[in-house]
Amino acid sequence: MPDHSPDSHTAAPSAAPSAAPSAAPSASPSGRPLRVGVCGPVGTGKSSIIATLCRELAPTLELAVVTNDIYTDEDARFLRSAGVLDAQRIRAVETGACPHTAIRDDITANLLTVEELEEEYPALDLVLVESGGDNLTATFSPALVDAQIFVLDVAGGGDVARKGGPGIERADLLVVNKTDLAPYVGVDVARMISDASAVRSTRPVIGLSRTDRASIADLLAWVSTTLDRHRSGVLVPQDPGPMARHVHAHQH
Amino acid sequence: MHHELLVMLLADSRLPVAGHTQSGTVEAALAHGLTTHDVPAYLQTRLRSVTLVEAGTAVVARHVTRAGGRPDDVDRAWAARTPSPALRQASRGQGRALKHLAGKLWPEALVPLVGLAAPSRATVLGTVAGHLGLGPGSLARLIGYDDVQTVCSAVLKLAPLDPAVASGWVAAALPEVAALADQVADLTVPDRIPAVGCPQIEVWAEAHAVTSRRLFRA
Repeated sequence: MPDHSPDSHTAAPSAAPSAAPSAAPSASPSGRPLRVGVCGPVGTGKSSIIATLCRELAPTLELAVVTNDIYTDEDARFLRSAGVLDAQRIRAVETGACPHTAIRDDITANLLTVEELEEEYPALDLVLVESGGDNLTATFSPALVDAQIFVLDVAGGGDVARKGGPGIERADLLVVNKTDLAPYVGVDVARMISDASAVRSTRPVIGLSRTDRASIADLLAWVSTTLDRHRSGVLVPQDPGPMARHVHAHQH
Repeated sequence: MHHELLVMLLADSRLPVAGHTQSGTVEAALAHGLTTHDVPAYLQTRLRSVTLVEAGTAVVARHVTRAGGRPDDVDRAWAARTPSPALRQASRGQGRALKHLAGKLWPEALVPLVGLAAPSRATVLGTVAGHLGLGPGSLARLIGYDDVQTVCSAVLKLAPLDPAVASGWVAAALPEVAALADQVADLTVPDRIPAVGCPQIEVWAEAHAVTSRRLFRA
């Protein structure tokens, strides 16, 4: 792929990472921006989280977004109309009704779109890839994203987190979204988050609401930390895996 | 490497080259009045027009690059025979996807393409096939077969249909695929690539490119 190398652009030397996400000169060892995937079932608020991230981070970071809609470019249009990012930096990828395939076993369409954005905007700090809403087993290939956020919402039921699954258990971040709706759907948020934490070992869980500034600050802090780890070269993409984790003593 | 096995690898829909994003314009065709009853005729029309151009292009690209040349003129000949910008863009996107994969599996195969901006899928596939030592007939059959399967598998996602019926369409189209290959297998120069557009497919492809409701890229 000689003429589409994501490593072909140069960036300024690294500065010391700061506490807040910063656009300070920041070449990562990979020479490309951090790629973060956002996945989870339909309607849990993936687009909304991406809009929030764009709104909060656009003043300090160079951003781009790739959406994977099922049947329309609704998500891309939602983000463009939200006015949080230059419309040219938001690209929709069609998945041929295969949202799971497009983020997992044939990542080509997404990867090429990410690389296209990285070529057109060489100063990008962060590329967000939104999966088409799929089921609980869909997670990103580590060949596509450096880190991934799995999104649930309280309206989907308080027992979902306890049921587990690769994204819930092993995504880099689990967001339990729409916590403000909990009283209306009869879900105990604290219980849902503790259930999730129980299946996630030390991996973080954030209970999020657009109306809860503290929760948004937690989300931004996670992005900041992840970006710093990417820039310093210590972030290694982790595969949540499609199945329950199992260990092999030998290499396949 | 056994050539037959390489053809199987390249024809397999599990090859990660974003094949699942393509419908061979059948999504637009169905949206504009084509019925599932018409699909076998649609397949035949493609094999005698846009797919014939693609196969001819690939065969000539294979010949030229195996002889040590560059396929720039071949790619221009393809573009001249593909008047729909949407179809050109779709093919170039697929060409890029294939380059991406070939760059990992057979990087030397891409040497003739260096400096050629956004080559068509046919140009890339012909160049890669030449590097792998595939014959022109195998290459042309691969392109015809892939086109038929792309359309039929997309129809399964778009219309109520027994999958066995779609497989029956593919099987029934195989003689036409073989005929296509016979027609282009001996081509060696860009000027001889068939110039047979299909205005209806091109119109559908253009309409598809601007719709906001679609499952497939093209």
